Amino acid sequence: GQISRRRSREIFTLQNMANKKLKRTGLPSELCERLSKYQIVNCQDFLSLSPLELMRFTGQSIQKVSALAKTVSRACAPKMVTGLEMKAQRGSQHSTAFFPTSLTELDEVLHGGLACGTLTEVTGPSGCGKTQFCMMLSVLATLPVSMGGLDGAVIYIDTESAFTAERLIEIARCRFPNYFCADQKLITMTNRIHLYRELTCLDVLKRVESLEEDIILKGVKLIVVDSVASVVRKEFDPRLQGNLSERSNLLSSEAATLKFLAEEFFIPLNAELPFLKDEAHSSVKPDDWDNFRNPHRMP
Amino acid sequence: MVYTCIPLLHCLELGISKEEALEVLQIVRREASGEESQRSVGLPSVRKYTALELLEQEHAQGSIITFCSALDEILGGGVPIGKIVEICGAPGVGKTQLSIQLVVDTQIPECFGGLDGESVYIDTEGSFIVDRVMDVAHAAVQHCHLIAEAGQDEVQLEAAQAFSVSSILSRIYYFRCHDYVELLAQSHLLADFLAEHPKVRIVVIDSIAFPFRHNLEDLSLRTRLLNGLAQQLIGMANDHGVAVVLTNQMTTRFGPVQSTLVPALGESWGHAATIRLILRWEGKLR
Repeated sequence: GQISRRRSREIFTLQNMANKKLKRTGLPSELCERLSKYQIVNCQDFLSLSPLELMRFTGQSIQKVSALAKTVSRACAPKMVTGLEMKAQRGSQHSTAFFPTSLTELDEVLHGGLACGTLTEVTGPSGCGKTQFCMMLSVLATLPVSMGGLDGAVIYIDTESAFTAERLIEIARCRFPNYFCADQKLITMTNRIHLYRELTCLDVLKRVESLEEDIILKGVKLIVVDSVASVVRKEFDPRLQGNLSERSNLLSSEAATLKFLAEEFFIPLNAELPFLKDEAHSSVKPDDWDNFRNPHRMP
Repeated sequence: MVYTCIPLLHCLELGISKEEALEVLQIVRREASGEESQRSVGLPSVRKYTALELLEQEHAQGSIITFCSALDEILGGGVPIGKIVEICGAPGVGKTQLSIQLVVDTQIPECFGGLDGESVYIDTEGSFIVDRVMDVAHAAVQHCHLIAEAGQDEVQLEAAQAFSVSSILSRIYYFRCHDYVELLAQSHLLADFLAEHPKVRIVVIDSIAFPFRHNLEDLSLRTRLLNGLAQQLIGMANDHGVAVVLTNQMTTRFGPVQSTLVPALGESWGHAATIRLILRWEGKLR
């Protein structure tokens, strides 16, 4: 559909409150000029400074600096919403608040299905069917709402080259033989599933960070990342100490962006994670990813 | 300035007693501070007490129960007002659940042993799910209704009427911070918010760790920002009579023989909280 320019601008600034230019926060322009000489141009630069540094750069007293900090903060702080308002917002979207997986027992346990607007992690030993599950969800998402689908497009980020179109069609024909009897329906469905093959950690991160536009343009209703762990394992040897913090950094950035997308566009996000085997250490390490995903985990 | 001189020196110079010297200084001080208060913009309230006054104050301020007797016992009655409590633990152990329980419990009416307060919830991970909050709220409301029915006390019955899931939800003030800049911005504005909402008795930040663990390569900057944040929070806890609850993640510390799980955010952060709760799984129990 058509998106208004204003709305798209709003969306792009939402993720970038930290990058909001000081000129747009209500600070006097001479002050902004002066600060820009010290490379202090956006909210992040300003708020990362200590009061002493701020006094030095602005040439103002401590009281003035506190007031300035509040002005900048007001420009990038989140808006308050009460629990009751959140419930009301949720209520208006309730009919599509959960995406049924079509596996009745699973849907029961999940109170309806995958929660839209959150990140769901699928984990298990290799060979148990995670990729198959993700492919089935992709087919489901393209189906009309009356059939339990989301009537939308799917973004499928594949890091293991495990996704095959043939298998996708097989699944579709098997589960919904009546619906997909005509080739036309199959073509429409496959057209709505957008596959991205990313083979390195950095590529996955970059892809995830650029999804916002695609989501709006293509009417995406489901995002699948298959899988999070495989690229990480390939590139980060957990036995090397330095790697752990870099890995944690990467996963956490990825998670933060994915969560933002899920919340902002109210779509369920499915990240696949094969079990990590603990070889070297006897104590159990929490997978860093665990810290970052929402509390819906399907083993 | 004159009033900064030591009384003893004055005694010696003027040949007057210590008490007389003190009197002189006090007069001078009063004159001087009269001028100053016209110039300065709002001095913070003086924070000195005797230990006895502090004890009385701490007892009077009350604490927020968790509905888990073992936890309440360890905490000395519940989460105390005016202090920072840090909840650490591995993912899935129940930090967010405990936080949600606390923002509901804060609102329990006084006649049922609560604080009849309002709650601030600062969410950095997006794990605040309204449906779950409603479940917890519902349980708390049921609990109070049962007590009221059993006791048949006028005050309690009336309070139980007004205490509902909707009233609880309407008094939870929710802020979603997506990164550390938004969190810092919110902390600058929090003192004013608390002044405008004097019934708030708890501020939860869930979690304090997440926004500081990515996109922040400079560790010394991170330490400085966290320290600043901790100081602001302690100040707010005292000035506005709120309990501050922070959830923290765990990270792995590599030792020569084995690795251990320790709270995230580094060693210096460990000194920020007054009370640190570490939640662990032991078999199937927490």
